[in-house]
Amino acid sequence: MKNTKTEIRFFSVPQWKKEEDYLREQHKNGWEFVRVNGFCLYHFQKCEPKDVVYQLDYNPDSMSQKSEYIQLFADCGWEYLQNYVGYSYFRKAASEMDGTEEEIFCDDASRLDMMKRVFAGRMIPLLIIFFLVIIPQIIMQSQIGASLNRGLMVLFGIMFVLYLSMFVSFAIPFWKYYKSIHKG
Amino acid sequence: MTETGFYILLCLREEAHGYSIVKKTEQLTNGEIKLSPGTLYGSLSKMEKDGLIRFVREEEKRKIYCITDLGIQVLELEMKRIERLYNSMMEAKNEEHKD
Repeated sequence: MKNTKTEIRFFSVPQWKKEEDYLREQHKNGWEFVRVNGFCLYHFQKCEPKDVVYQLDYNPDSMSQKSEYIQLFADCGWEYLQNYVGYSYFRKAASEMDGTEEEIFCDDASRLDMMKRVFAGRMIPLLIIFFLVIIPQIIMQSQIGASLNRGLMVLFGIMFVLYLSMFVSFAIPFWKYYKSIHKG
Repeated sequence: MTETGFYILLCLREEAHGYSIVKKTEQLTNGEIKLSPGTLYGSLSKMEKDGLIRFVREEEKRKIYCITDLGIQVLELEMKRIERLYNSMMEAKNEEHKD
């Protein structure tokens, strides 16, 4: 039996919750997360199956004071694992939480702030590609209309759908938190 | 102001670092409010930028903060607002009992 494994998993920008669930599920099945690197390569090693909560923060500003940032999380029982494309990875065993499911954010205002940081750091570049590359390309290709370009048209069509679904899956929780804070 | 922001200001009337704010808030609320590190880190940076608290010094990688004069003013306003809310609530409750 091999004691380590590597999986390729792609999570788009707004899917950090899915990624957290994925890592937690792996740990429950006896695969402890070691690190992620390269192009979405997730490395695991065999361990006792355990319920461990994984959480991601996106806070590029904190990197200038990384040791203080990590210390605060450590004081609260969260183990810092690594940084990957701007996200900081933390974990804490469910058994160390007193009955309630803990998260690194405890109110919607700070969840929304995290989403705003992701938006500024990760979503704006995607929006620029979407509006300055994908949409103009689709318009251009449809006007040329030659059969040679059908492949390109399909490619940009797929990208259009992918990007749009990313924007929507970002906008829905964003709107939910926004409304919960600005109600009344 | 968020509840987190309120407890930060309340605790920082004395110099304190992040985790001691977590502990103090837990004590004050009988364990009902447990501030999370991501929320706390974000709030501390924001409040420092807004001039409500200031960085005092660092001890063993822990940043110690303290409330500023502006922070005290904001805290007092917030306390008055909460007092008003509380009084209105009690008044409404008493009237209910009379009926």
